[in-house]
Amino acid sequence: MNRLVTVAEMTLRELLRRRGVLLLLLLMPLTFYLIRRDAYLGQSVRSLLLGVGWAVSTAALFATTAARELEPRLRLAGYRPHHLYLGRMLGLWTVGLVISVPFFLLPMIDGADLRYGGLAAALLCSVAVAAPFGMLIGALLPRELEGTLLLLTVVTVQMLIDPAGSGARLTPFWSSREIATWAVDNTDQGYLSRGLLHGLVVTALLALGVAAVASVRLRRRRHLRHLPVG
Amino acid sequence: MNADDWLRTLTAELHQRRVAADAARHVVAEAATHLREGGGDPWVVFGPPQQYAGAVVESIGTAPGPRPGPVRLHAAGITKRYGRRTVLRDATLTVRAGQIAAVVGANGCGKSTFLRICAGLMSPDAGEVTVSGRLGYCPQSGGTADFLLADEHFVLIGAGQGVARGPARRAGRAAARQLGWEAGGDVQARHLSGGTRQKLNLTMSTLSAPDVLLLDEPYQGFDQGTYVNFWDQLSRLRDAGTAIVVVTHLLNQLDRVDIVLDLTPAHENGWHAPGIQGGRP
Repeated sequence: MNRLVTVAEMTLRELLRRRGVLLLLLLMPLTFYLIRRDAYLGQSVRSLLLGVGWAVSTAALFATTAARELEPRLRLAGYRPHHLYLGRMLGLWTVGLVISVPFFLLPMIDGADLRYGGLAAALLCSVAVAAPFGMLIGALLPRELEGTLLLLTVVTVQMLIDPAGSGARLTPFWSSREIATWAVDNTDQGYLSRGLLHGLVVTALLALGVAAVASVRLRRRRHLRHLPVG
Repeated sequence: MNADDWLRTLTAELHQRRVAADAARHVVAEAATHLREGGGDPWVVFGPPQQYAGAVVESIGTAPGPRPGPVRLHAAGITKRYGRRTVLRDATLTVRAGQIAAVVGANGCGKSTFLRICAGLMSPDAGEVTVSGRLGYCPQSGGTADFLLADEHFVLIGAGQGVARGPARRAGRAAARQLGWEAGGDVQARHLSGGTRQKLNLTMSTLSAPDVLLLDEPYQGFDQGTYVNFWDQLSRLRDAGTAIVVVTHLLNQLDRVDIVLDLTPAHENGWHAPGIQGGRP
């Protein structure tokens, strides 16, 4: 447990020291919100949620790429793969939650009439999905540029795809969009439960994906035999 | 280098060359007296400290080193290919407790690959490695977190071994001090100079008190004093029973090691089985 918490803490410390990144993390959802401000409220809230998801995914991607050189030696120092990826995920979720707070308050200050419980749930889903999503891309694509381009593609698809179509459910942030519809448009309870279920399943699948990639990459190699000190 | 630095380097050199402690103290005291009374630049009076230490060793000999202990690292028949290119063929190395092995060879001959295979960070196409005890590894570069402080690196490594924060920090600072570096400041790793960053890297690898220490050219960017401290620390670790493998291209240091593994290919198109030579007598 101590190892898990230490990795989470160091992830948090690293991200909090990247002031430029933090600023951009806050700026991105704000821009997304403001750019749709003149349209109807649902659009700007959905854009805000997508902005939060994109920002946290990008932070997760960069944190994962930055740790690529360090992780093998941490493994030698006594960490097991799950300490490393779960600790990092925990740190990223914490950062995500912290940056979500101003964006929960933003529509409130803006005088938006919506279900704020729904907005909170949508933000939670967005952050929950974004951390393992960015980490998985970072684990699969070793270079930041490729990872960023892939993230950009996914977010663009998410933005442009017809949310009612069946393909939309395959996009990672569909859950927060669905919950946002419930929160803004006062639709039936089905939107909320579908969204929560989708968020839960996607988060679990992505976390499993991260676990699988990390376990392979940081596995104990078969050619190496460890003996106790004789 | 002033007289004090010269004497300090001479002390380290004599220690590394395993001159008996009493004899080394005597030699250094004599040299200090000579310099104090006669004055003059030690480089002019005695020459470079390394050369003077060599002359002392020739004159009075060395203390017998501790007998090498049990085998700590045994790498046998290591072969590695990248596509069609074979970078390692049938490389074999055995290192015992209290020995330093140097892995040498031309650029691109697979030195770092060999070390990564020994550390279990990369799989070979053939061969196996047996490690007895705990393993420490210092990469050539990287291996640190840009936005963390040195103390935080020590805490991170310590937590892997279940060491509490305070003791981990103290152990890290003490190990850094051996390299002439006070590591307690609040400078992030990205702001450290290349050499200091490598000191952090090296300190991290020794922090878990490994039985087998694998070092991939860890002295990149070291100044002369740190470089001397580095070999001094290796000698101390060796004397404490650590088995050390160091990748190096500095052939002038080979008289300080016990085993040399040369990975240079014999021909452009082929390989000879890498030979293991004795280093230090």
